[in-house]
Amino acid sequence: MAALIIGCGTWDRGDDAAGLLVVRLLRERGIEAREHTGDGLALIQTWQGAAEVILIDAAITGAPPGTISRWDGSAPVRGGSERASSHAFGVAEAVQLARTLGKLPPRFLLYGIEGCNFRLGTAASPEVAAAARALADRLSARPNGHS
Amino acid sequence: MNRTIRVDTLARVEGEGSLHIKLQGGRVSDVKLRIFEPPRFFEALLKGRHFSEAPDITARICGICPIAYQMSAIHAIERAFGIRVHPAVRALRRLFYCGEWIESHALHVFMLHAPDFLGYPDAIAMAQDHRTVVEQALRLKKAGNRIVEVLGGREIHPISAVVGGFYKAPSKAQLREMESELEWSLETARAAVNLVAGFEFPEFEQDYEFVALSHPAEYPLNEGRLVSNRGLDIDAAEYEDHFVEHHVKHSNALHSVVRGRGSYLVGPLARFNLNFDRLPAVAREAAGHAGLKPPVRNPFRSIVVRAVELVFACAEALRLIREYEPPDAPRVEVAARGGVGQAITEAPRGILYHRYALDTHGMILAAKIVPPTSQNQKRIEDDLREFAAQVAGWPLEEATWKCEQAVRNYDPCISCATHFLRVQVERE
Repeated sequence: MAALIIGCGTWDRGDDAAGLLVVRLLRERGIEAREHTGDGLALIQTWQGAAEVILIDAAITGAPPGTISRWDGSAPVRGGSERASSHAFGVAEAVQLARTLGKLPPRFLLYGIEGCNFRLGTAASPEVAAAARALADRLSARPNGHS
Repeated sequence: MNRTIRVDTLARVEGEGSLHIKLQGGRVSDVKLRIFEPPRFFEALLKGRHFSEAPDITARICGICPIAYQMSAIHAIERAFGIRVHPAVRALRRLFYCGEWIESHALHVFMLHAPDFLGYPDAIAMAQDHRTVVEQALRLKKAGNRIVEVLGGREIHPISAVVGGFYKAPSKAQLREMESELEWSLETARAAVNLVAGFEFPEFEQDYEFVALSHPAEYPLNEGRLVSNRGLDIDAAEYEDHFVEHHVKHSNALHSVVRGRGSYLVGPLARFNLNFDRLPAVAREAAGHAGLKPPVRNPFRSIVVRAVELVFACAEALRLIREYEPPDAPRVEVAARGGVGQAITEAPRGILYHRYALDTHGMILAAKIVPPTSQNQKRIEDDLREFAAQVAGWPLEEATWKCEQAVRNYDPCISCATHFLRVQVERE
């Protein structure tokens, strides 16, 4: 079974669209991928039962814009701090909660595309758009969408 | 002694915001809740667009309550065009809204607010000791999400609701398929009322002006007059005669006040206090068992009221599903005409006002959106001014947490501006 590919984000908010850009590029190539707002509880439902999940989201790690980071399900992905999440219950919280509840898919990969501009009404920065293309290339090259 | 309670990024509120409280001795000298809201951008974006685009554009304002934005937009435009929809469409819209209430209230009651009362920093820590509670939240949220998915056409960014009705109406069988899960949800919500009613609440009551929709026969979602406990009783078209927005320096959001009076409260407490007798019996009984009766003036008890509204939303969804007869046509013919239309609907967090001015071709000349959080913002600051004085003598960390909790009483949807992943990288 092919991996379930989920791209999180929102249009009209600059680099926040990173995950959606990757989904759009993959679909253009005939590869199935799902858009998601990044609502954590809904994410856990979306990936329920999937053997392998690849999740893509915009990220802030302090790396240069456009940098692609990769974490697998065995590594902790921690939010900025215990009580300083940019969103009430987002991707990082979903991963942590799913792990606590034993609901993290057996194979889980998280790609973060480093963003630099999250202003309303703006398009993704050139660095993020290029990174989205590079990541779409990398995911398209996976045999059958498998890792 | 001068002290400052400062929270640069509020956790467990939707979006990003910050809180700054200055204490001088036991006195609160300044309160600033800074929130960042996108409606001004969307108001500008809507200008020059065709009316048919408004439901989908405004749904993008908030990832948590897209249905509320769609419903207010659709009702406002239908009022401008003088459209009346089929009764079955009206019922479907009510069901659609119940789905969003279930999703939103389940998230807030269990995952965002309960950790405050059970003494955990967040729901993840809570899940280790209260696994069942978290799993119930997940399942309840899924039940709400399923309603939105069936009626909205897809899991996220629902697209099926349009001016005049829906692109496609569901079959009876599609709705009936959700019945058993909603029966479970109703029982779970009833148990949740008892669970949260057992929490400890700070002694804190305020003399609020509660503002909510009121309908003669039903607990309000999409329709009704706008009323308050201080004599307000108006149509949505009169909203801007009675409410005014002020720009405040410390926040991008506008503060809304009742003209000549000041701050007011919208959301679960207001709805419950002004519409208690229109709750279905099962929700009234759940409130009664929990010792909850109107008027509830302690905002910390909003978690119990939200749980009662969860009972209502599940019971109402079940009623609508059982009584559903598909309409002959999912939508009525829409003929654009020039004019202005206003509508107010009850988003999970409180009233959401939309106004559209349209030309004869149905192009949007102007749009105005007043979300519930900007209506509550001044009220939240007023609460904090009183509440911070009560906790001024506490250790700073504890006082800060309590004040954050006072903000979370309102389930503020601060922007949903960006949802990026903020990650601490530990390099080896």
